[in-house]
Amino acid sequence: MMPIWLALAKVLLAFVVGLGVVVLLVWFERKIVSDLQNRIGPNRAGPFGILQTVADGLKLFFKEQITPSRVERFVFELAPFLAVVPALMLFLVVPIARPIEITLDGAPYLLSFAALDINVGLLFALAMSSIAVYAIVLAGWSSGSKYPLIGGVRGSAQAISYEAAMGLSMVAVVMWVTTLPGVTDMGAMSVNEIVLRQQGTFFPDLLALSWIPQWNLIPQFPAFVIFMIAIFAETNRAPFDLVEAEQEIVAGFNTEYSGMRFAMFFLAEYLNMFTMSALAVSLFLGGWGGPFLDTIDGWAATALSFGYFLFKTGLVLFLFVWVRATLPRFRYDQLMQLGWKRLIPTALLWLILTTLVVSFREFGAPWA
Amino acid sequence: MSEQQDLFTAVANMWKGFRVTFRQMRKPRVTTQYPKEFREKPQRFHGRHVLNRYDDGMEKCIGCELCAGVCPAKCIYVRGADNPIDDPVSPGERYGYVYEINMLRCIFCALCVEACPTEAITMTHLFEMSTTNRQDAIYTKDELLVQPDGTPNHMFDEDHLADFGELAAADGWMRATSPQGRADFSGVPGWTPSAGVGLRPAEQGQSGTEPEGEDA
Amino acid sequence: MTEYFQDYITVGAFIGLGAVLVLAMLGVASLLRPSNPTKAKYLTYECGVDPVGDGWAQSHVRYYIFGLLFVIFDVEAVFIFPWAIKLEELGMFGLVEMVVFIAILTVGLVYAIRKGVLKWE
Repeated sequence: MMPIWLALAKVLLAFVVGLGVVVLLVWFERKIVSDLQNRIGPNRAGPFGILQTVADGLKLFFKEQITPSRVERFVFELAPFLAVVPALMLFLVVPIARPIEITLDGAPYLLSFAALDINVGLLFALAMSSIAVYAIVLAGWSSGSKYPLIGGVRGSAQAISYEAAMGLSMVAVVMWVTTLPGVTDMGAMSVNEIVLRQQGTFFPDLLALSWIPQWNLIPQFPAFVIFMIAIFAETNRAPFDLVEAEQEIVAGFNTEYSGMRFAMFFLAEYLNMFTMSALAVSLFLGGWGGPFLDTIDGWAATALSFGYFLFKTGLVLFLFVWVRATLPRFRYDQLMQLGWKRLIPTALLWLILTTLVVSFREFGAPWA
Repeated sequence: MSEQQDLFTAVANMWKGFRVTFRQMRKPRVTTQYPKEFREKPQRFHGRHVLNRYDDGMEKCIGCELCAGVCPAKCIYVRGADNPIDDPVSPGERYGYVYEINMLRCIFCALCVEACPTEAITMTHLFEMSTTNRQDAIYTKDELLVQPDGTPNHMFDEDHLADFGELAAADGWMRATSPQGRADFSGVPGWTPSAGVGLRPAEQGQSGTEPEGEDA
Repeated sequence: MTEYFQDYITVGAFIGLGAVLVLAMLGVASLLRPSNPTKAKYLTYECGVDPVGDGWAQSHVRYYIFGLLFVIFDVEAVFIFPWAIKLEELGMFGLVEMVVFIAILTVGLVYAIRKGVLKWE
């Protein structure tokens, strides 16, 4: 039973970590994309251009905000909120560091670092990413113009197509994780629990292979691939960024947004990128786990695990940026075909396969 | 383009693409840190125009309006005037009294440089020409004319020369013209650098020596 | 009592923080930005030319079908989640039932693909 101030402290921690990483992420992406393109990125604002995000944000503060006369005012103003808030909420269920034993009212209590440590965490994450789709379609519709409308509808169609695949791949992971021995009593839908069950190694007895960590990456590799492709499409990142590509339809659903409202969409995209990466790390890459965590104890171990979490999320974000710098954009019909005709059937197939394997392990062969 | 590449080939090709972009990180970057660094311009770079002088300080421009006539953008405005008898501006009878180039219309084609009979107008490597109003972009004669020692005028405080050596190597159009203001053209051309002073070393096929004889 | 509401309070506080962040940024921006309304600025943007026609365009019915299919598959995923948790307790019977459920929906997807609703975008 956690006191309210502790819950709010965790909320604040998650908020600060999320926003702090996103500010760095904008800079990180621009620098890494430019390195991959053999040029120097921003390097004037602050050392190595670190303050570039701040400079861009300040610039957007001072821009005039033009609201065209034909917009639906309420929905137009609601859309940036709907973009930012669900992106932030996804981060609530992700554990960012190892749980630590503290004493509350004299009793020991295992404090987990997922701000919202519930036993339906994954479902909550799926729900939040579904709400984020609203922002796209409402922004496009309320702009009162043909092109944002088309951009918004296409963007939302893209998002929901890949969300179905994402959900199905997450189900396969949950099914697999259920067979692992439980750590807390939360059940395998809690992201914190999924991370906890991924600690340890596969073959602790075999000396040669005892270093292989028990990450879901290995037994659920196709689900990992499907999930990664799905989150590229969810966050409208290259190569799935047709709906917001500058060269294609100006800015798609956020054409009519200027000034700070545009900055909110921009922020929401990077927030989404970060939180989806954090989710991918928690589901497949063992979350905050890493070597030497069982040798040290207390807050030092928690700090180290936070470092591991940031490092792994950084790797996934590097992958995001690397893919953006390398792959050309998908055409819209190719995109939808990939989603419906390749990804969802593959996810369903993998789901059935996982089901069969899991039930063989649980119940034995049906002909026995 | 094979529609049905098998999955393995597709992934292998994608991996090759990823390797290419990753390798770029290890190569030196191609960015030039302007304005701290300048990229060296090619020798015949079409930069800003200058009006040259001879060694003795007399202007080369004779106000013949050939440059204005040939300019496809109609950006040059020239008016000639008679040389005052006691204080000639240019060797010869007339000089360029009014000379203005509208840099906003100029297309930097260097036809004016080709057309000039006296090599008065040449193009340098200067390229920083931004102004805050249209009036400032019309370069007048005293802005275009080089100083008596041959250096071009700096228009603004921020106007840099990459290095003067680069400017000296900059090359106007090579023409066999009457050099150094001499009336007796004896067939020995002197090639001047676009800075308007001095004599470049002789090119292939030219005599390296100046003909004898004095003239004003 | 607070134990039950604790999670809701967490979520509510986070929504509040997010909304406050957006409001604060928009509020500060409204103090700092200039405001020079001219008539031309409030026209809809259509790549610089004068806007033509109504604000709305007709959307293809395809998008509705995508939405429909998404709802079906998302709800399917949501239904499979709790079964995946309680796998052992539901035994062989639950497994067969779930495989039948997934198979029925897969048949639906195959039908949609064969009918051509997922072609050309």
